[in-house]
Amino acid sequence: MGEYTLLYILFAPFAGALALIFISNRQPLLVRSVAATAAFVSLLASLYLFYAYDPVKGGFQFVQKYEWSTQLGISLHLGVDGIGTPLVLASSILLFAGIFVSWHIKDRTKEFYIWLLILAAATIGVFMSLDLFFLYFFYEMSVIPMYLLLGMWGSHTKKYLEMTDPEGLKLRDSVGFILNFGSNSKEYAAMKLVLFLSAFAVVALMGILLIYKYSGLNTFDILVLREQSNLMNIPVLGTTLDKIIWVLVFFGFASIAPLWPLHSWSPVGHAAAPAATSMLHAGVLMKLGHFSIIRVAFEILPETTRELMPIAAVLCMFSIIYGGFVAFYAKDTKYVIGYSSSSHMGYVFLGMAALNYISLSGAVIYMFAHAMATGMLFAMAGWVYDQTHTRDIPSLGGLSNKMPFISVCFVVGCMASIGMPGTVNFIAEIMIIVGSWDKYPLQVIVAMLGIVLTLAYLFKMMRGLFYGPMNQKYSHAHDAISTVDRLPLLIMIAISIGFGIFPMHLYDVVRSGVDPLVARITRVVPVAQTGDGLGGGSAEMSPEPTGVASVAANKVLRPSSEVSGRGRE
Amino acid sequence: MTFSLNMAFSDLLLLLPEIFLTCWLCVVLIVDFALPRLPKERLAYLSIAGLVITLGCLGWFDLNHVSGTLFGNMFVLDRMAIFFKVLILSATILVILASIEYVNRFTLFRGEYYCLVVMAALGMMFMASANDLLSVFVSLEFATLGFYVLVSYLRDDVASNEGGLKFFILGVFAAGLLAYGISLVYGETGKLVFSEMASAQPTPGLIIGFLLIFAALGFKIGAVPFHSWIPDTYHGAPTPVTTFLSIAPKGAAFAILLRIFLVALGTFKPLWVSLLVAVSILSMTYANIVAIAQRNIKRLLAYSGIAQVGNVLIGLAAGTKMGSDAILFYLLAYLFANIGAFAVVIAVSQAIGRDEIEDYRGLSRRSPFLAFAMLLFLLSLAGVPPLAGFIGKLYIFVAAIKEGLYTLIAVGLINIVISMYYYLIVVKQMYINEPLDPSPIAISGPMKAVIYVGLAGTLVIGIYPQPFTDWVVSATLMFANFVGPSVTVIPLGPSLGG
Repeated sequence: MGEYTLLYILFAPFAGALALIFISNRQPLLVRSVAATAAFVSLLASLYLFYAYDPVKGGFQFVQKYEWSTQLGISLHLGVDGIGTPLVLASSILLFAGIFVSWHIKDRTKEFYIWLLILAAATIGVFMSLDLFFLYFFYEMSVIPMYLLLGMWGSHTKKYLEMTDPEGLKLRDSVGFILNFGSNSKEYAAMKLVLFLSAFAVVALMGILLIYKYSGLNTFDILVLREQSNLMNIPVLGTTLDKIIWVLVFFGFASIAPLWPLHSWSPVGHAAAPAATSMLHAGVLMKLGHFSIIRVAFEILPETTRELMPIAAVLCMFSIIYGGFVAFYAKDTKYVIGYSSSSHMGYVFLGMAALNYISLSGAVIYMFAHAMATGMLFAMAGWVYDQTHTRDIPSLGGLSNKMPFISVCFVVGCMASIGMPGTVNFIAEIMIIVGSWDKYPLQVIVAMLGIVLTLAYLFKMMRGLFYGPMNQKYSHAHDAISTVDRLPLLIMIAISIGFGIFPMHLYDVVRSGVDPLVARITRVVPVAQTGDGLGGGSAEMSPEPTGVASVAANKVLRPSSEVSGRGRE
Repeated sequence: MTFSLNMAFSDLLLLLPEIFLTCWLCVVLIVDFALPRLPKERLAYLSIAGLVITLGCLGWFDLNHVSGTLFGNMFVLDRMAIFFKVLILSATILVILASIEYVNRFTLFRGEYYCLVVMAALGMMFMASANDLLSVFVSLEFATLGFYVLVSYLRDDVASNEGGLKFFILGVFAAGLLAYGISLVYGETGKLVFSEMASAQPTPGLIIGFLLIFAALGFKIGAVPFHSWIPDTYHGAPTPVTTFLSIAPKGAAFAILLRIFLVALGTFKPLWVSLLVAVSILSMTYANIVAIAQRNIKRLLAYSGIAQVGNVLIGLAAGTKMGSDAILFYLLAYLFANIGAFAVVIAVSQAIGRDEIEDYRGLSRRSPFLAFAMLLFLLSLAGVPPLAGFIGKLYIFVAAIKEGLYTLIAVGLINIVISMYYYLIVVKQMYINEPLDPSPIAISGPMKAVIYVGLAGTLVIGIYPQPFTDWVVSATLMFANFVGPSVTVIPLGPSLGG
């Protein structure tokens, strides 16, 4: 372990995928065990990483750097800060859980696990890249496995066109409907996902190439580039270059987040994907967007971020409300959860837009918390689908008799999604709301409304699935009885509640990553925007120019903000 | 200009690979003639042996930095020429391996097939070394002559004959353009050697002359608007010949283009950048859009090849040392992905007898290995990490953005997304659709070898490109003198200084 932890986390799934190539599909148990072992190694290493990360020291830890191409100025530069660490942990938890969730896949088991492992490893790679090239490399690498996972093991969306309410409330996904041409197939979903994400990824790549050119340093290293942001402040096309780059990077990465109006690929993709893929997709793949925006736009262009982040504050309102309403009217379990995810990602954008310690920490914790909550919901929707082969909520009902364990877990999952006290989602939500209130009161009210909506559609779905009269067609459905089936849900519930009750270490880790970043972004404005005393530390932080948090600054800051942060809870 | 033939014997060393291969070609012909009962695949292995020895000789040249010029600067052997010769010979070896099974389809002249392939390779080796306009003309026609025959080798197949005829007529037309262009350039400057032209003034006659030469070379690489022969010829030709045609002549023609644009025309860069930008944008956009409508895998790969040429032209439009590095690197990545993809096409058509995209239905069930290989080759062509094509595209974009070609890069990036669509259509057929006929597909040994080489190249270059970038950087060192102060920092290990 020790300094090579990141390599274990990143390469264990790759090694697992490589090993699987040489195993025959006729030994499904061996295939599953190899995949599970690879994921378990990765999980153990990332648990170690999470607890060995020193929040007092802060900055990038476990740094690994290998020259990769001197001509292009690329090095395999890995390292995690307080923002990357919890997301790496979330990815490996979801990978481990996802392997057990898909334990019963019969068709081409080996190939399924190979692509699942590559998908997870690529996502993990993004969270630990400190080099723009490798960030993009892993980002783009995660897209193709999605295509194959959706296309080969996904399911068609028969009910897509009936998403409207019979009373005439036409709340279809407009963009998706226009581009849909009446096709509800998984092929369509997979192709749409890949083309959408690639199209916006190349937009981000254009931004990255511009950063590379104008820094003039012949390097893609984020830690070097972030000291050179002033070089990009040159007028061009009636605005300044840094703004153009920022817009390219922001919208390029926001598509995967997915920010309204770039979201239309996401619910379609969720619905078509097999359960484990949906979990990874909603749990961590979406967070690649927020994370990459933080890593590229926030780190390299802090001043532009301060100027332009209100864009996100405006769009996130639409994300929250639009996603919430569509989820309320959707009749397909996975659509509900998919739209709920894209609605919830609006909270993260709100937390990022407010740009202070509390709200940004809340956003990062929310990413972690949402990964667990939505992972649970997708796992259970997947279970219900496996048992009944339908995702149509009106035709289901009364399943709690048949599957008591699943329905109890579902209640917990709903609670976590809504943000009940006792789950880590509560802490995150309250931090986002408290932190953003001062700067964006309207958005906070919208977010509150979003929480009410979440409550409404999740309870509606819960009632539709588990209570009420039972459809006799599904009387053969049975509960998750074996350990293999229960384990993933129990892990995610334990993490969600565990961190909800003992959030201190998670909070410290996240703060150690967020503090220097916010200090860099707000340093030109001496008085921080957080007037309610929560961000009182920012004035002390501002003379910290290097961006790497010094131990002293952290110590000054932590107690005061922690008291106030905790006071709100 | 005087031609002196009073050269030392040691000068002939520079020609050793070509001389050797010519002799070997004669040996193969004689063996074919003298031993008519010899199985034809023996001839294939005999040709491959000659090519491998030639390759070894070139490798020895490269390690010992053998370089120089011959025949009054007509023939040059520098590291770039060696690079392209290695590229061409590797392609030839892989193509011959991929042909062994296919050759049984020919009713006649099975032995001559290998001789013609080696002869075309020989012509292209001279193209890689051509250093003045006359040797460009002679070597280009020499190389194309072999292809005229090879394309129409399926005597009873109408498509093959049609493709051969189209190729021949347009090829001869291109030769006419080339000769006319050369005569104009010679009339204006009185010079034929590239490096001596660098000081010429851009008179209208000279510009028209070079435009004609560019058009003729545009035919060879298949850039829009000179691409019209490509789809039909690729479709009609025997698939191994298509494979050969899709990589080797393009590589050799790019060697000539690099020498013309960076050496002879280095001083007129502002004049030709917009021309190359326009051709590149047209090639990428037109080919990618038209490729979407294709139903035949060979036509799809033909259009994809035109689009790839558009990508390579981005590097030429950058017109720098780094741009030429990127071109060499890209061609290397393209070599493995393209030959691999065509090898899969040959293997599938051996089993099924057809080349429609529909025939790839459920290939992952019938032959997981072929489907997986095809997936990686197509994704490498599309430019998806961690495959070689991605690094190649990125290298080209980085070279171009340093020269500020923003529009071109934006178009190139959009085209990546468009191309992703039609490559994924094939992936969809292979992986998502279920096969109509689930019988497994058998692959012959040589074919497997070609696919493994393609896979190894695609993955190794994609995952660890450093040795290959070092190689291409040292191969184009000579351009650093011609193309002004290069913005590229060239950190070279002590062992690589050349």
